[in-house]
Amino acid sequence: MSDAAGARRPYVRSMRGWWRRDPFFARYMLREATSVAVLAYALVLTVGLVRLAQGEAAWNGWLAALRSPWAVLLHLLLFAAMVFHALSWFEIMPKTLPAIFIGGRRLSAATITRSGWAATVLASIALCALAWWWRS
Amino acid sequence: MVDQRTIRMQVLRYHPQRDERPAWQSYTVPFTDDTSILQALLYIKDEIDGTLSFRWSCRMAICGSCGMMINGKPRLACETFLRDLAADAVRIEALAHFPIERDLIVSVGEFVAKLESIKPYLIPKEPRALAAGEYLQTPAQLARYEQFSTCINCMLCYAACPEYGLNTDFTGPGVLALLHRYNADSRDGGRAERMPIVNAEEGVWSCMAVGYCSEVCPKQVDPAHAVNQNKAISAGDYFLHFLKPKHRPP
Amino acid sequence: MDIFTFDIAIVGAGGAGLRAAIAVAESDPSLTVALISKVYPMRSHTVAAEGGAAAVTQAHDSLEAHFHDTVAGGEWLCEQDVVEYFVEHAHEELVQLEHWGCPWSRTLDGRANVRAFGGMRTERTWFAADRTGFHMLHTLFQTSTSYRSIQRFDEYFCVDLIVDAGRVQGVVTIEIATGEMRLIQAKAVIVATGGAGRVFSENTNGGIVTGDGMALAYRHGAPLRDMEFVQYHPTCMPGTGLLFTEACRGEGGFLLNSAGYRYLQDYGLGPPSPTPRNMAMELGPRDRLSQAYWHEKQRGRTISGPHGEVVHLDLRHLGERKLRERLPQICELALRYLGIDPGRQPIPVLPAVHYTMGGIMADEKTASPLPGLYSVGECSSIGIHGANRLGSNSLTELLVFGKVAGIEAARYAKAMSHGDAATVGALAEATEAGALAILMRPRGDERIATLRREMTRTMEDGCGIYRTAATLQSSCDRLAQLKQRYQRVGLDDHSRAWNTEWLLAIELGYLLDVAQAMAHSALARRESRGSHQRLDGFEQRDDASFLKHSLAFYRADQAPHIGYGPVKITHSQPGTRVYGAAAAQA
Repeated sequence: MSDAAGARRPYVRSMRGWWRRDPFFARYMLREATSVAVLAYALVLTVGLVRLAQGEAAWNGWLAALRSPWAVLLHLLLFAAMVFHALSWFEIMPKTLPAIFIGGRRLSAATITRSGWAATVLASIALCALAWWWRS
Repeated sequence: MVDQRTIRMQVLRYHPQRDERPAWQSYTVPFTDDTSILQALLYIKDEIDGTLSFRWSCRMAICGSCGMMINGKPRLACETFLRDLAADAVRIEALAHFPIERDLIVSVGEFVAKLESIKPYLIPKEPRALAAGEYLQTPAQLARYEQFSTCINCMLCYAACPEYGLNTDFTGPGVLALLHRYNADSRDGGRAERMPIVNAEEGVWSCMAVGYCSEVCPKQVDPAHAVNQNKAISAGDYFLHFLKPKHRPP
Repeated sequence: MDIFTFDIAIVGAGGAGLRAAIAVAESDPSLTVALISKVYPMRSHTVAAEGGAAAVTQAHDSLEAHFHDTVAGGEWLCEQDVVEYFVEHAHEELVQLEHWGCPWSRTLDGRANVRAFGGMRTERTWFAADRTGFHMLHTLFQTSTSYRSIQRFDEYFCVDLIVDAGRVQGVVTIEIATGEMRLIQAKAVIVATGGAGRVFSENTNGGIVTGDGMALAYRHGAPLRDMEFVQYHPTCMPGTGLLFTEACRGEGGFLLNSAGYRYLQDYGLGPPSPTPRNMAMELGPRDRLSQAYWHEKQRGRTISGPHGEVVHLDLRHLGERKLRERLPQICELALRYLGIDPGRQPIPVLPAVHYTMGGIMADEKTASPLPGLYSVGECSSIGIHGANRLGSNSLTELLVFGKVAGIEAARYAKAMSHGDAATVGALAEATEAGALAILMRPRGDERIATLRREMTRTMEDGCGIYRTAATLQSSCDRLAQLKQRYQRVGLDDHSRAWNTEWLLAIELGYLLDVAQAMAHSALARRESRGSHQRLDGFEQRDDASFLKHSLAFYRADQAPHIGYGPVKITHSQPGTRVYGAAAAQA
């Protein structure tokens, strides 16, 4: 027997655990999580600034703390997160810019991303060189 | 005789007049090297179970009817081939982030309503009589928006977008790409009229640049690009309101 | 049954239906329009058209030339006054679509570009990459949303016309989502439901192209005209039948047989040249190219593939840049479905059914003999294409006659009042009973798919590129049997909400009726003309006996009656179709 024609009854599926359903989403969440790493490092530097203002002893105390094994491990993790943060940002950067045409040809997303990496690497080298030259 | 390989297809079924919630059903389907998911579904409907409902038409990825989740990814059934899917079983479910009407059929009305709401038609910058012929538009000008005009309204990008899944008020990638298509058309002068939709909370500002929409788009429309480049435009629009009160749209 | 009342109902929201709706809205915004479609408008099969839309554009071209190419291409079975109107209004319609935003491909100085196309002596085909139908459809649909007076009924399946007091009074539909039946009462009805290619097994068509409007008009007494003329498009994908646009050849592609030889030169279309020459070789008309394939197959000069005998469409010499700019969708299709890069390998192709030249008889105003019923687009036979359609004429047809249909239906509706609600309601209830009877048929001995397969098989075998009395008679007999068996077809799904099996069963009924009209019309036409070619003593064209239109009239439970109607000739007297070397001299 056929049913009587009825009202629709659309079924809405839950979004619970949505970011575990696809590796792309997991990667996205990781990307967003690196902002926590950025915040953490900003706090570390802020503390350093405060210690600097409190005088040489405080400053040296802070530097000593940074040399502890746990601090080094933390910094390695933070550094890895920052690198991932930068790389994933450059991946999405082309999407935020309007299409760029140079000499009639469109600049590809890959080129824009690679320019970002290149600028990062150059800036990092420059800063490290500066820091090395100024060490004392 | 060609080898008769078979594969197990698990399909999420749901009937609005019979079922409390969706449930999986399994079918065994023969296939060859060029069998698509759509062909497999048609085999099921023709030979095994006529009650399986799904949308389809062109078979060539241009009508946008057959979007669904295939092994967890938003794909068009007509251009997804069994030969490319690893595993001995295939899981098929209605397109994610949309309510299920029945089996593999989702509610499309809201998407279409959003599409209609953005003034998806040319609002000419300057009038031109038909007798004067076509507006002039160079290939370079066409290239500025052509990509965004190739959207087939398949909604895979909505299934890929977690922001939309969490908040269905979000105008969404496909519709915003179409909006951008018109704003970027050299013949169009309707940008000011469309900006309220761009600027709204449910406009570009609900986008968190996940970027999955552009990954899954079968036509390389790149909706993520359309949406995200409009964030700068939207911000500019906002600040201009302060600088130039006359800039406010009517 | 719920009744919705409108001034005009349009069944089918593809290019023709949308253009008609816009035309009504523009001619008189106070008229209410119901735009009814069994799929969302952007899914209509217009979307799959690729090559382009023709209109006289270049300075050295002329309306006369387009007229003659079309009439000769149709082997003089065209209504010449209609063709005159068509070629005259083509350009302004393409410009109108451009004003509405259609992204036509351009020349360097910004004008609309034109390309060469089969059977056209000069370039006059406007195109939007190789997705012309897609862009036209989306432009029309998006533009239609700006008109308040158009109300859409998306995913409403039309099951019948209501005819009372000698005129059309509306349509009965199924709201697919719920299975609820609804009557849409209207003073004029425009049918724009597309062709019926799904009657054949190999075809370029989408699943929805099932001759719905043709069958409905036919069952209510409107004759189906020239149904025997079915176009085989020469370059389609083996297995699926998907289309590789004629533009591949317009841009310079070659057709090669198993010896790598451009065989078309053996069929009066030569001599070959390295670059495309209008009206010659690969730019000959579609019927000739499909027939050449058939002969090559008989001679054993085709290539065997997993899906049958193929020839090769060679685009390698076109170069990456041209392929990417002019034929992007083709490249995508070949790559995704066949794993072939057209820049490196030739594409295997064979002819498949693509277009139905015949349809509901329509006069130059798109009116059918049934008052209040208009038809436009592939479902109609208004007389442009005759025995063989030239590529890129049909997309333009949607626009030129979509507008005419809208204006005429508006004019008619304004002069009429609605019929008696009680009578109309009762007729609708009767239709509902019939549709529900199909729904309730138990899972029986006949499956829809079995009958459909046998129908398409017999049409392919008996009513294909070449026909004989024996094969045609066999098809006619088979179809009669299939119609009998259709009375016993059973469904698995007896529910109401989103029951697509129910719709497939109803569509099968439409297909069988249309197939019968095709096969019987073909059997009766004892000559060869255009796409109707015979091998049984009637290999020649016979103007004396058959320069006339076939008219198929429905008779319930019987074979159709085939009558004839005159062909309107204005100033092109029937002659010889001239292609190849002869065309260059003409």
